[in-house]
Amino acid sequence: MSEKIGVYLCHCGTNISQTVDIAEVARFAETLPNVAVVREYKYMCSNPGQEMIKKDIRELGLDRVVVSSCSPLLHEETFRAACDDAGLNRFLFQMSNVREQCSWVHSDRKKATEKAKKLVAAAVMRVAKHEPLEVRKVPVRNETLIIGGGIAGIEAALKIAESGKKVYLVERDSTIGGHMAKFDKTFPTLDCAACILTPKMVQVADHPNVELYTYSEVEEVSGYVGNFKVKVRKRPRYVDVVKCTACGECVEVCPIEFKNEFDENMSTRKAIFRAFPQAVPNAFLIDKKGKAPCRAECPAGVHAQGYIALIAQRRYADAFDLIMSDLPLPSVCGRVCYHPCEERCERGSLDEPVAINTLKRFASDWAAENGVEPAPRKRTKEGKVAVVGGGPAGLACANELSKRGYAVTVFEANEKPGGMLRYAIPEYRLPASVLDRDIERLEKLGIEIRTSSPVDDPEALLREGYGGVFLALGAQKSSSMGIEGEDKEGVMGMLEFLRAAKEKKLTCIGWKVAVVGGGNSAMDAARTAVRLGAESVQVLYRRSRAEMPAHDWEVEEAEREGVLFKFLVSPVAVLGDGKAEKVKCVRMRLGEPDESGRRRPEPIEGSEFTLDADLIVMAIGQQTDIAGGMEKLKRSKWGTIEADPVTLETNLKGVFAGGDAVTGAATVVEAFAAGKRAAESLDRYLSGKDLREGRDKEIPVAPSPSTEGVKKEPRVREPVIPSIDRVGGFREITGTIAEEDAVREALRCLRCGGCSECMECVKKCEPEAIIHDQLEETVEIEVGTIIVATGYRLFDSSRIPQYGYGRFPDVYNGLEFERLCHAGGPTGGKILTSKGEKPEAIAILHCVGSRDENYLDYCSRVCCMYSLKFAHLAKEKTGAKVYNFYIDIRAFGKGYEEFYKRLLNEDIYFIRGKASEVTAVPEYPEEEGKLVVVCEDTLLGINRRVPVDMVILSAGMEPAEGADELTRMLSLSCTYGGFFMEKHPKLAPVDTPTDGIFLAGACQGPKDIPDAVSQGAAAAAGALSLMDKGVFVLEPVTADRVEELCSGCKVCIANCPYSAIEFDAEKNVSVVVKELCKGCGTCVASCPSGAAFQENFADDQIVNEIEGILLAAKGA
Amino acid sequence: MEAERKYSYYPGCSLMVTNRSYDISTRNVAAVLGIEMAEIEDWNCCGATAYYPVREKRSYVLSARNLSIAERNSTDLITVCSGCYAVLKKTDKYLSEDEELREEIRAALREGGMDYEGKVKVRHFLEVLTKDLGEEAVRRHVVNSLDGMKVAPYYGCLFGRPFGGRDEFEFPEAMDDLIRWLGGEPAPFPLKSKCCGGMLMTTQPDMALNMTGKILRNAKSCGAVCIATCCPLCQINLEGYQGKVSKRMGSDCSIPVVYFTQLMGYAFGLDAEQLALKDCLTDVDSVFAQRGSKR
Repeated sequence: MSEKIGVYLCHCGTNISQTVDIAEVARFAETLPNVAVVREYKYMCSNPGQEMIKKDIRELGLDRVVVSSCSPLLHEETFRAACDDAGLNRFLFQMSNVREQCSWVHSDRKKATEKAKKLVAAAVMRVAKHEPLEVRKVPVRNETLIIGGGIAGIEAALKIAESGKKVYLVERDSTIGGHMAKFDKTFPTLDCAACILTPKMVQVADHPNVELYTYSEVEEVSGYVGNFKVKVRKRPRYVDVVKCTACGECVEVCPIEFKNEFDENMSTRKAIFRAFPQAVPNAFLIDKKGKAPCRAECPAGVHAQGYIALIAQRRYADAFDLIMSDLPLPSVCGRVCYHPCEERCERGSLDEPVAINTLKRFASDWAAENGVEPAPRKRTKEGKVAVVGGGPAGLACANELSKRGYAVTVFEANEKPGGMLRYAIPEYRLPASVLDRDIERLEKLGIEIRTSSPVDDPEALLREGYGGVFLALGAQKSSSMGIEGEDKEGVMGMLEFLRAAKEKKLTCIGWKVAVVGGGNSAMDAARTAVRLGAESVQVLYRRSRAEMPAHDWEVEEAEREGVLFKFLVSPVAVLGDGKAEKVKCVRMRLGEPDESGRRRPEPIEGSEFTLDADLIVMAIGQQTDIAGGMEKLKRSKWGTIEADPVTLETNLKGVFAGGDAVTGAATVVEAFAAGKRAAESLDRYLSGKDLREGRDKEIPVAPSPSTEGVKKEPRVREPVIPSIDRVGGFREITGTIAEEDAVREALRCLRCGGCSECMECVKKCEPEAIIHDQLEETVEIEVGTIIVATGYRLFDSSRIPQYGYGRFPDVYNGLEFERLCHAGGPTGGKILTSKGEKPEAIAILHCVGSRDENYLDYCSRVCCMYSLKFAHLAKEKTGAKVYNFYIDIRAFGKGYEEFYKRLLNEDIYFIRGKASEVTAVPEYPEEEGKLVVVCEDTLLGINRRVPVDMVILSAGMEPAEGADELTRMLSLSCTYGGFFMEKHPKLAPVDTPTDGIFLAGACQGPKDIPDAVSQGAAAAAGALSLMDKGVFVLEPVTADRVEELCSGCKVCIANCPYSAIEFDAEKNVSVVVKELCKGCGTCVASCPSGAAFQENFADDQIVNEIEGILLAAKGA
Repeated sequence: MEAERKYSYYPGCSLMVTNRSYDISTRNVAAVLGIEMAEIEDWNCCGATAYYPVREKRSYVLSARNLSIAERNSTDLITVCSGCYAVLKKTDKYLSEDEELREEIRAALREGGMDYEGKVKVRHFLEVLTKDLGEEAVRRHVVNSLDGMKVAPYYGCLFGRPFGGRDEFEFPEAMDDLIRWLGGEPAPFPLKSKCCGGMLMTTQPDMALNMTGKILRNAKSCGAVCIATCCPLCQINLEGYQGKVSKRMGSDCSIPVVYFTQLMGYAFGLDAEQLALKDCLTDVDSVFAQRGSKR
């Protein structure tokens, strides 16, 4: 070995030399191997110190340097640069820290000197093994990401934008401005916060170099200094920021109110809102929690929460209009829907679900009674559409297309439209007059319905000039059992039976009727038979009651009306002489579950028996009955039409199909859903758009709303006619609820979705800025530098229960009091107690949470001053006695002491003592009805009780919510309380240990406005200097691989905390991305095959370092 | 599945004589909940009250001797007396923080062939119920719901002392929760952690009667039908002087006072004997007997 090592021992003034005998260390160092020269100096980091090193390198030909001084964090770069200067590779240098790790932490001079020797020996031995390393330079992009749009972020953004570089400003809230926007006045000058802030906010928004992402959050940051890749999640505002003119018309009509967060929940706002009148961007947004569960559950996606909200506001016509835009036949749906929405209704978990369907019926019937018609429709689209089939699916499609501006013609084969609604649903559930009323309304809206017009060939319609055809043919045929004697007279299919009954072509007086089946149609048939005068009606079902597909309430009603049930029986033959007289049945038992999950019924041998029956109704299902010229349509093996489940396209171009004809018999609301789906497809088809793209957007269902403070209240019951009155005829069983009941019921809604999607704002918005189906969006941007300016959150005063925050309405925190003072706040700037009275005495408690070992150890720095500001404002506005309870007054800033002095002359009381509690329990007569602040007055040395009307808690500052996440995302560190750690508390307060990332404002520590602004500007300067230089020098102390040794086990990839290792599948080795590697060494330690190594931390270097320590230990 | 719930139990002197009913009701309630409480052997006074101001170190030795015995069991040590709780906890804290004191006390223990390594966790029964067991475990055993009975939860000043380990100091909520779980309604009781007067009742009765009076009056004004306590001394002060207090305050301050364990026992369907209700000095019949038991 021929290394020539120079050893330089720094005294650091007396910082090191007073504890370490430097002369002795020097003598020792001279004895170490390869040491060519040892020098000591008072300040090695000074110019003469550095010159000394440079001179020796040049003149003595040193090829290694050791400096024993302070922490490398402080001066490693200084000495490396000196080596560079003198022509020595900067990595042939080693620093030993004898200040922080030795002289500062020890008091025994002898022991400290011994330790210093060890540290120096370790460095000397290590440096001998150092290898020259080459630094790498990376380009720095010219864009900056600023996270947080408070005053610090705004300041930084403006400074950078002004310099001509691009800024992306990401703000979580709907407006920039941060906390400052909520403030009334600012200390110590008392100028209005809005007056000085809003011009800057506007400037940011208008600046061509600033791209503003409000209501957005940084989701992911990857890359490295100069080349960060950032994913920003833009939450939907549901209002186009560019189109919105902030006229506020939408607010007037919005039926949903929430607490106003901007006013610290002391006032309310609508679901469509903006934070405050000067918000930037000055556009509204809609508060949606997700899809309301009722709407999510509805096959047709009806906006139930919307019409409920409108009914609650007695806006029945608007409610009806909304229903009409979702459904073609609202009064019908309000009667016959099986309302799955109610099963899902969150109110059900508190007491009972909201009677959603009943409310729909109320609004629809109200509209009919009051002659209210839905909004007229304009024909805005060129094409015309043919709908074949006038049942619920066909009419839903027609309604939707007409709403969208198309001309629609419905072809109905029967004499009257309505399909199964007309012929299969009994009159007592759905009077024909109601159906006629709903259908007539559709005709009035411009939908042409041609009855007695069967269509044989859909393609002929296309040739006639219809742009598209929707086939909604239904399922017209009752299924048969195929048993012996089924063709006898007196056996009827369910559909034929119900239709005959509806057309009054049939009576059953004195008959014994048997209905076969257990579904809702069987119940309809049985109950119809009762009304037709049957002597007895029996339902024969092959499974047990639990397996019946009919709704429970249908079964119960049927029983109430006298229908008998025979379970676990199945007909095997119809007996009789030409005409049905008896039905032969077999008893069943339940076996293993079949594919539907229900237990399969099996006949019990020898259990046959017969029943008398004059009429047997087969209610065991329906089939599609497609005949005529439809043979070109592709069919499934069950005979249904084959259609694409998403687009409803058939094998014929331009021909779509849906409803029962495709799915088999289903419910009315499912038919509506199919019709709406077809309309969407036809709209896309006719306007030449893709049939699938962006369809069926996945909107998350809203989380369960809070039921705190909601009183239990029973659900409204529909009026029902007694069963005794029912069976004599076909009178409708249920009635419509009264108006007051409807309003009360509607008010039970918990408003799960936030915005109810009542679409009233859409109607009002002239610039058409509202986009109810907007989705979340993720944008990717690339930046060179990042400034974190995420601010703070106010300490939660309810954590100190003895101050009564949250228990006493007149105990406020600082931000709440700001809003009370603010002209735009809940009281219009009047300071009033919760009873609306002017307070006679006000207490201001300093240091709430701060300087308290139970909560925040630190001083929050702003509370003294804002307390003084409050004291001044309270005095000025109310003339009340104002008491400050303080520990110390910290008025350290420019003009602050003067402000304090001014307050001392404003007749304001200052009591030195931390309040011990705020109580409402009086001890003296003058305390009755007051809040009493109890404290020890430490200047007078007595306990005091001060009765007041209002208490303001000057709560401290904590890091903003989500700061933890950001810490991980940006690999930041935290100091006390969770505030982000700066690179150096004094000399690099806005830099972070991660290159290219800067801090500004209260996220780094509690700070007032002037300090936050200064830091914003400083962080901008830091970012600008990096970007102006355009290149960044990367530390070469990174990990690497000996490719031949790597076995490709990927252990290192899983262990790397910086995701800096990639896998080269071709070579089957792992590869370190040098730009991302932070040199932590985790992969090196975890590599089982010894392929991983780290520059400047090679095994021989570390071994030598240890040997150095041992050598010194031996010498001592 | 009930988790295994084993603890050591330190009753303390007052529970042996004057406050027997607290001990009895505690043991019976624990039995219902499946809490196994092994009374530590040969325990002595916790070192409270008189020792403290006179011979501080001796009081630590007394306390440490109990901790030393409890350490043999390697389970948490339960006490129901807030005085014992505070003293044991304080001793444990001081011994862990002050090396010099620790060595001195350990030396004293070693004289008697004992030692203390600082491994015992001192717990108040109330804290065990609310933290270790929790709502479901308690609710499951309620057969006699308190049915909205308004109870003033009185914690006294010792339960909340900040000797570490707990998060409720000034305004505890543990008993409030417990009352809710039993079907009752905790009264909003601002003076719930104010001092009852403690031993001043014997040395400075004027002052103590005043302190007790404020508490009783406040509980009544909150609409409570009874006060629940969690400390034997508080219980005595609140129930034992109501006549004198009423005279002094110039208004009727009488209100039934029970241990929270008696309230629990009632809700669990235990009988008057199992809760030693005959020891109560106030009209507890108005709380319990009139409501009847559903068991």
